[in-house]
Amino acid sequence: MLVVKDMAKQYGDFTALKDINLEFTNGLYGLLAPNGAGKTTLIKMLATLIAPTKGEVLYNGKNILSMDDQYRELLGYLPQQFGYYKNYSPKQYLLYLAALKGISKKEAALKIDELLEKVALSQVVNKKMKKFSGGMIQRVGIAQALLNDPKILILDEPTAGLDPKERARFRHLLSELARDRLVIISTHIVSDIESIANEIIMIKNQQILYKDSVEKICELLEGHVYETSIGYEQLGVFRKQYVLLSEKQEQGNMIVRFIHKGNPENEWRPVSPQLEDVFLYEYRDEIDGEA
Amino acid sequence: MRILWNEIKKILTWKVLLLLILINSVLYFFVIEFHIEHFPNGRPALDSYKIATQMVDKYGIDMDEDEILDFKNVYDAEVKKADRYLQSRKEFVEAGIGSYDKFANYSWENEEQSALHDKVFFEEQVDLFFELQERSRLITFHENRKVYPYPSNATAKQKLRYEELNTAKHYRVYTELIIDNFREFISDVAIAILFSVVLVISPAILKDRSRQLLGLQYTAKKGRQLYLTKIAAGMISTFVVITALLIVYFSIYSLNKTSLFFDVPIHTFIGNYAWYNPTFFQYILLCVAAIYVLGFVFGLFAMAFSSIVSSMVALLGIQIPLVAGMLIFGLKPLLSFIIGIWYPQWLVPTSYSVMLIVSVLFVVYLTTREKRRDIVN
Repeated sequence: MLVVKDMAKQYGDFTALKDINLEFTNGLYGLLAPNGAGKTTLIKMLATLIAPTKGEVLYNGKNILSMDDQYRELLGYLPQQFGYYKNYSPKQYLLYLAALKGISKKEAALKIDELLEKVALSQVVNKKMKKFSGGMIQRVGIAQALLNDPKILILDEPTAGLDPKERARFRHLLSELARDRLVIISTHIVSDIESIANEIIMIKNQQILYKDSVEKICELLEGHVYETSIGYEQLGVFRKQYVLLSEKQEQGNMIVRFIHKGNPENEWRPVSPQLEDVFLYEYRDEIDGEA
Repeated sequence: MRILWNEIKKILTWKVLLLLILINSVLYFFVIEFHIEHFPNGRPALDSYKIATQMVDKYGIDMDEDEILDFKNVYDAEVKKADRYLQSRKEFVEAGIGSYDKFANYSWENEEQSALHDKVFFEEQVDLFFELQERSRLITFHENRKVYPYPSNATAKQKLRYEELNTAKHYRVYTELIIDNFREFISDVAIAILFSVVLVISPAILKDRSRQLLGLQYTAKKGRQLYLTKIAAGMISTFVVITALLIVYFSIYSLNKTSLFFDVPIHTFIGNYAWYNPTFFQYILLCVAAIYVLGFVFGLFAMAFSSIVSSMVALLGIQIPLVAGMLIFGLKPLLSFIIGIWYPQWLVPTSYSVMLIVSVLFVVYLTTREKRRDIVN
């Protein structure tokens, strides 16, 4: 079990994270927050790349920094952005990383074939990576994270650059992996994890906002999410009055999905809240700011 | 071992090796080749070299009083040959330079004598006369062998060393040509090697950092210990580069055919006042050792800077003053005159110790820092 205890990270006067307390057992955890919320900082602290200013991370009761290579041996990690050697083939690159992970050359060779097959790169095993698309590179990254058959798999924005078909394939792979290990995925794309995560962790104002199942988190907005059809000229006023979640055009009108916590109008149709609704509602200020 | 080998392969790539060949070819043809192609450089250098080889063959690694006397007898016999040569030439007799003594002391203002003198040396290039010049020069040194002309500003320690050489009868008997040529050669070789080391080693650590590879490397089982492995790979690569270049350059140097002088103590070469009495070969080995130490120091510094700067341009920029400073001010006292009496005896051991300690401490500090620092990018 991985436990984050009273953890905080400070960069000078800037607080990146504070009062973080989390517990992870086997299963898939989705770390969901907009860009800049501190997801990567948390992920990097779990991966031993960043040391907490306060608190600690424990694996089965032992501090992960003290565990040193014993912890890293259990770890599979895919950073948000990762480097590679352009003139290496995926096989050479994975062999290089396998050596760092302490895997014998013979064992690595077998594992690499299996993993490249899994991420649909078996046709380009010996091709130089400089010719690869972003999606292909990302798939090599996923393969490297799985090289040592990790007990803890941490993936930071793993679907960046993947096309819809690859994303679906990746979700399937993750569900399979999460059966007997701990998988933590950081993302700001709700659909990546909505259907597969056992629990969602949301970060807001440098702290943990929610850590619960998708259903439980969605219950928070139960009875407050509606859809209705309005004229295009009403849209401006509507935006000011309600928290708009989505809007689409249909037969000259606008179908809007929004949140309202008071009494509904008759023509409004109540709908089941989705994770994306909670995401948009909770981070409405950050998202408006970004826009 | 596999990890170390992988890191070495990342440093010594084909591209780097081609760049190394290119740089060394340029430096060889512009700087080093001269010391090989033009050794001995014209006349009387050629004659000086010829006589020196004859002397080592005949007298061995040093000359005692009897041998010096024999050398003078040879000179006298050669003078007689020259006399006969001049007397057999009517124009020399008529110009009043019918003997070697008169020929050697010809008048510059006498056009006829001057023209005939030039004819012997520049048109006919008569070996005998060139050789006599050199023999005469060496005899002058032999005659003044007991006079050690130390400069007026010599320190007490330097004066003591001069006296020590004199008391031990370590006289100057052989031409300085061989050791001077080696000094110039090894200085230029050192320049080529230091440039090569800095160019090869500089990107070693920066590349992985700027390519954002640390996230993957430091979360693997090997972890941040990889930094030390990279340093070790850098040191091994430095050793490989220095060794390979030394093999190439010394193979080329062998064309100068100076091996005959390897056992000659360096104090027997004219003008070589040194703190110690190694043979010429030991002196070569000392210079080679100095190049290795300088190479390792510059390699360590290159890796240290490679760990802190943000770009290749900054990395080269920060090292240019260091390398230039070493080439301009350091190479003479620390390499070509490594045991020369003109520099204080403490200078070389102190300088090398300080450079080694500072570079090692720099890397130790960076290794400790690397173990703790946040990998943000």
